[in-house]
Amino acid sequence: MTDDLHPDDVMAAEYVLGLLEGEELLAARTREASDPAFAADVAFWQDRLAALLDEIAPQTPREEVWERIAAELEGASDSAKVISLNARIRRWKMATGFAAAAALAAVSLLVLSPSQTPAPVVGPDTVEAEPLAASIPIGDTALRLAVTYLPEREELFVSASGLTADGVHDHELWLDPQDDSPLMSLGVIAPGEERRVALSPEVAAKMADGSPLLLTREPLGGKPPEAAAGPVVAQGRLQKI
Amino acid sequence: MKRATSEAREKLKSAMGRLAGGDRGALEEIYRATSTKLFGICLRILKDRKEAEDALQDVYLTLWRRADRYDPERASPISWLATFARNRAIDRLRVGKVRGGSVPEEEAAPVSDPAPLAEDMLIDAERDERVHTCLEKLDDKSREAIRTAFFDGATYAEIAENTGTPLGTIKSWVRRGLMKLKKCLEVGR
Repeated sequence: MTDDLHPDDVMAAEYVLGLLEGEELLAARTREASDPAFAADVAFWQDRLAALLDEIAPQTPREEVWERIAAELEGASDSAKVISLNARIRRWKMATGFAAAAALAAVSLLVLSPSQTPAPVVGPDTVEAEPLAASIPIGDTALRLAVTYLPEREELFVSASGLTADGVHDHELWLDPQDDSPLMSLGVIAPGEERRVALSPEVAAKMADGSPLLLTREPLGGKPPEAAAGPVVAQGRLQKI
Repeated sequence: MKRATSEAREKLKSAMGRLAGGDRGALEEIYRATSTKLFGICLRILKDRKEAEDALQDVYLTLWRRADRYDPERASPISWLATFARNRAIDRLRVGKVRGGSVPEEEAAPVSDPAPLAEDMLIDAERDERVHTCLEKLDDKSREAIRTAFFDGATYAEIAENTGTPLGTIKSWVRRGLMKLKKCLEVGR
């Protein structure tokens, strides 16, 4: 009873309806890309069947969906900022001779892991603050801890990609505020990793051009609350880039 | 009513044009005008609000990144967007099934009965009528199978399983129906 049927005649329709699976689906996709007549049939069916979609009652999505979309768009514009930031870091590197390649890599985290929450709205009268960076030499090795700070996001990027853990110590990064207030922790360093760290507003307020950064050796997990900070093993200074 | 429809279509067309030029405001305008329609479609296919919201987000972000895909010469913008949303939702449905099985029946959101709506954004009243008239001419079994594929994103194998009908039988119902439908729709192509 199916003798008068030529499946080929309706393959485009089957494809548009989504009936096909596996090899048949693959074959249809290939034909759509390579056979203009078939592609035209696909377009014909899509066009005609689209009218059926008017049968479906509209439903209101939560406003959150638009917020998520808007936040993603915000993130997309961050990549443009990163490009200009990378150019600044290159200039800074040439001017200072610091090996800042690791900081470059760390800043790329901004693109690779956009934050889950929408970026804070920056008003039109807000002056975009200059990013700060530091390159901290580790002992007498060629290794450096690269730190980049983006004031408008209050986020710190720390690249410790050349470092390895010794299994008994952790290293903690500190800001030495210029107003002689106590050291402020910027977090425990993750050896071999690039991390982005959101700073609290109190700490962010003290991040300034010229501020010293200190790296101390601590027990695993960082400085215990009751103990004094461990020995300083490396230091550097934040600079405008 | 007719007037409002064509005005809405022109506005949407212009927003789609600005979108290709990287205008973010255009994306919001398109979202405000079409998201309830496209969400209805995603929800119908995916039958889960969370999944449908993810699909909707994916639809508009893909639209933003690939605004050049839309060809104003070829299709009305709402028709193109609706088809695009259905396709993305079906892709998601298939991937989801491969990963972790389909959504259990009890989690499926209630799906409202098909009710044609006198909305601003009707795709195309004339063609809408045509496809309905043509579908009406098919025998019940062909029509039901085609509608299930279209509205639920079901494959041949799934329709066969859900109706307890041999795969070959389903294929021949659908193919016979599609041949007839094609002839009927081609009148005036």
